[in-house]
Amino acid sequence: MASKQFACKASEVPADAAKIIKLGNLSLGIFRVGDGYHALLNVCPHKGAALCQGPVCGTTKQTDKAEFVYERAGELVRCAWHGWEFDIRTGEFLVDPRVKARTFPVSVESEDIFVHV
Amino acid sequence: MFIVDCDCHNYWCSATVLEPYMDGFFKDMFVRGEKTGPRGAFPHGHRPWFHPEGFSRHDVNPVEEDDNYAIMKEKHLDKYNIDVAILTGDEPIEASTLANAHYANALCRAYNDYMIDYWLPKDSRFWGSIIVAPQDPKLAAEEIRRIGSHPRIVQVLVSHGAQRPYGDPFYHPIYEACAEMGLPFAMHLGGQGGVNSTPIGAGPSTFFWETHAILPQSAMTHMASLIAQGVFEKWPSLKVVIIECGVAWVPSVLWRLDANYKALRKETPWLKRLPSEYFKTNIRMSTQPLEQPENVQHLWATLEAMDGENTLLFASDYPHWDYDDVTKLHIPPAWREKVLGLNALDVYRRIPRPAAIAAE
Repeated sequence: MASKQFACKASEVPADAAKIIKLGNLSLGIFRVGDGYHALLNVCPHKGAALCQGPVCGTTKQTDKAEFVYERAGELVRCAWHGWEFDIRTGEFLVDPRVKARTFPVSVESEDIFVHV
Repeated sequence: MFIVDCDCHNYWCSATVLEPYMDGFFKDMFVRGEKTGPRGAFPHGHRPWFHPEGFSRHDVNPVEEDDNYAIMKEKHLDKYNIDVAILTGDEPIEASTLANAHYANALCRAYNDYMIDYWLPKDSRFWGSIIVAPQDPKLAAEEIRRIGSHPRIVQVLVSHGAQRPYGDPFYHPIYEACAEMGLPFAMHLGGQGGVNSTPIGAGPSTFFWETHAILPQSAMTHMASLIAQGVFEKWPSLKVVIIECGVAWVPSVLWRLDANYKALRKETPWLKRLPSEYFKTNIRMSTQPLEQPENVQHLWATLEAMDGENTLLFASDYPHWDYDDVTKLHIPPAWREKVLGLNALDVYRRIPRPAAIAAE
């Protein structure tokens, strides 16, 4: 049974980075993507690095020729160490979606963000 | 067992055999112009390393031009029951070292006509490679289209010494022509000299044996470049054959490429798969000279990591000093049928399969 725990105030979550919080032993990143909030475990499934302390960014769209179309700005986090790109909403690794960062459900009550751990 | 030798050198005693296949200005230049050696030498920018014994086997000593085939037939083709020999020429790939791409192209063109005219009719086991000078990819592409539909031509061949990595868009007209003619693109160790000034990273090494062992460096660059530049996305059915550049380095480079791609795929958004996956579908490695660790299991683990059962093609490199004997090729026994012949038939599609089946 997931327990609902207070994470942080909405105003504490920056637009271009995660708000890193501690819940007991767990380190989590709280992200704002568009209008919604999302939580990822601050542990990269690759090598255990501080995933959520990497830059929030976009990336290049897959194309059929040598062109660079920047897309998904603000929807991705690049792991702080090795730069693997993850979809903040789903936790999926872009190169191989079978590799997933752990996500947690989030709820917002007025200015308070809760994580369901 | 059906045996395809993917690197069989058809020698000449003298490059003057090309004279009847040249004309005009370039014939004059070839006959009267300066060359790398006396009359009969093939014009090229020579590498700065000399083999202390000459790089041919010492039991292969042709005197007349026709001896070249007679000795190859006796000491290689018949002796080892070779079913198919892919002719890879010899000196002509060194045309890639010349600064004058027009002259280089004229030399390749003459060689190709000579090879079709003199060598291919000699033996039903022979299949030819079109040699092109990559310095001018448009001229190379013209040459590929000129003779690429010849029924006994099975690939396009260049030296692995080059002015830039082969994935560079500069070279793409060559792949366009290969794809159009349905021919694989092959690179063979060579072309270390002249305008190809960077065959060795960190600057020129000193001794021949030392250098020969590390020449695969530039093949690593070409492999990475072909994959990263998206050559196999543009031409998904193109096969690239890397000849005589060693084998055991392949997994380590693929591991490194995959690791970096996972971090920085956004730099090459045209790629849709891991680098190692492009390798497995599009690149083939010739075996010779297959690395010789003291414990063969060390090699076999490495070959397994590159899917060697499907990516290796047997090559002898007849008649060079590091010739591999097909009967002593140290690969896993269960792979022999594929590596010695069947894998090559997947690459060289013009060679009829029935011949392989009949040989079983």
